[in-house]
Amino acid sequence: MSLIAPAPPRWRATSTGFAAGLRLNFLLVSLLVLTTLIALFARILAPHDPVQPVGGLNLPPGSDGFPFGTDAIGRDMLSRTLYGIQASWFSALLVVAVGLLIGGVIGVIAGVASGWVDAVLMRMTDLFLALPGVLVSIAIVAALGAGLGNTLIGVSVVWWPYYARMIRGEARSIAVRPHVEAARLAGISRGRVILRHVLPGVVPTAVVTASLDVGNVVLLLAGLSFLGLGQSAPAPELGADTARALSQLLSEWWVPVVPGIAVLILSLVANLGGDGIRALTAKRR
Amino acid sequence: MITSLAKRLGITVVLLFILSGIIFFLQSISPGDPVKAYLGANASRADVLSERHRLGLDQPTIVQFGGFLVGLVHGDLGVSYRTHRPVFKDFATYLPATIELVVFAFLLAILLAVTFAFSAALRVPGSSFYRGILLVGATAPPFLLAIGGIVLFYQQLGVLPASGRGPDDRGPTGFLVIDTLVNGDIPGFGSTLQHLLLPGLVLAIAPAISIGRILRSSLESTLSADYVRTARSKGLGRGRVLIKHVLRNSIGPAISMSGLQLGFMFAGVVVVEQVFSWPGIGNYLASSIPVSDFPAIAGVTLVLGTIYIITNAVVDLLQAAADPRLVA
Repeated sequence: MSLIAPAPPRWRATSTGFAAGLRLNFLLVSLLVLTTLIALFARILAPHDPVQPVGGLNLPPGSDGFPFGTDAIGRDMLSRTLYGIQASWFSALLVVAVGLLIGGVIGVIAGVASGWVDAVLMRMTDLFLALPGVLVSIAIVAALGAGLGNTLIGVSVVWWPYYARMIRGEARSIAVRPHVEAARLAGISRGRVILRHVLPGVVPTAVVTASLDVGNVVLLLAGLSFLGLGQSAPAPELGADTARALSQLLSEWWVPVVPGIAVLILSLVANLGGDGIRALTAKRR
Repeated sequence: MITSLAKRLGITVVLLFILSGIIFFLQSISPGDPVKAYLGANASRADVLSERHRLGLDQPTIVQFGGFLVGLVHGDLGVSYRTHRPVFKDFATYLPATIELVVFAFLLAILLAVTFAFSAALRVPGSSFYRGILLVGATAPPFLLAIGGIVLFYQQLGVLPASGRGPDDRGPTGFLVIDTLVNGDIPGFGSTLQHLLLPGLVLAIAPAISIGRILRSSLESTLSADYVRTARSKGLGRGRVLIKHVLRNSIGPAISMSGLQLGFMFAGVVVVEQVFSWPGIGNYLASSIPVSDFPAIAGVTLVLGTIYIITNAVVDLLQAAADPRLVA
């Protein structure tokens, strides 16, 4: 621990270590797949209707037939959580996909075009990046009216600039490589150069960045839902379910805590899975 | 230096203009009608028309936007549908509490970040455990941390309060940490700190890990630099090398990340204030959302957004001052 000692040997890529790392990363990515499957089949997995009272009021977790307990009007917490996971997970994926799409189009055009097109697009992107995104999305949703669709619009509007910046840098570095220049000199059209020679090089970085970003979006959407900007009352939504049950925290803690833990797990899975994807793709290249 | 200052100032003004443009646009598409809200739903048609005229709502959009900007400069943010008071007056009541909480949380975040970065860069035993706790904390939704903290520290251990700011504010500044000291109220000061601790910690964890990671990696690269070895081998003490040679040269990126995070904290404070019933501007926003009080929401967005933009500008300048190489 001396200040100037040579750095202690870090993890060495021995063959067994490498295999173990590979296995771990596959495990992390499969968590991502598992979560997506759970979200996809939430309706089948949920034992009860999430909106209708089906049992006693405020039954604690582990009660007969209600592993996560029931809420103040006797709705099954497990079913509500599963439906909530479905809404949260696919909303987050959608926001990231939209951000990737808008940011990708702007970034690739700016990166390949260079000159004034690049300058204009990137100045615009920088202005958007410098605005307080979360606050602007709160204002957008408040103006449009609360609801899942409006929340997705509000967040997507502020979420693309980051991708535009990142993808522009990547596209730029590829656009100056010899193979792209060769393609240009061969008289291939601009659109084809972008699609065939630049885009494939951008995709890996974009996918890794996007997968690491899903967790952030999960947290942001849960926060907006907590503030009452998501779906309206009976709909199961993780953030809103916690907010509505806050008054029960000191008597029936599980009612507000269970949906919150579901958000934590989603965000953890997204971050770990993103790390796994990054590690796997880094080894490929 | 002067040119970069002027340039940064120009960008800041443009950003503030765009932010107010966005808010104005949202205000004009938001469903609420300020005239009806002001006069009540039963107002006669003539009254509504004359009120619209008085408020300038019958003017062309561009004139209205001009009026909106002039109003903003004079601190006119409209009248809240909910409290029926000018939004600006409401802010005077709530803003100090928010600033106090965010600044406190920011100092906590710096403390956590520095201890995390140094312990990780110097490989102090147990640092990875500390890192793990911070990481999970940063992955958790803030409202879960908040309610978890309330259950643990208020309900189970009974050591920290769960809501509010503590003692009543008797002026003069609105910042309880200062006011209690000015009034010689030492127990009140202690209670204020106690009330700040839990919401501050919840707000601090995510920024702490972001700042700490940056600081750690720049510390690690500085630690292996030649001049640090030289300083050590010419006999300088470890503490002195760390403070004078390592920290000074590693702090630039961390400063810029801190500024960014301070800006984020002014947005993140909304949820935390709601859970802890903190009488600040975030709680004001949270109570305005369910009743669609758009003037209040727009006002909060504008004020917190302005703070965010100005913070980032100041940090840019600070960074240039700390590292003159950036100005060239």
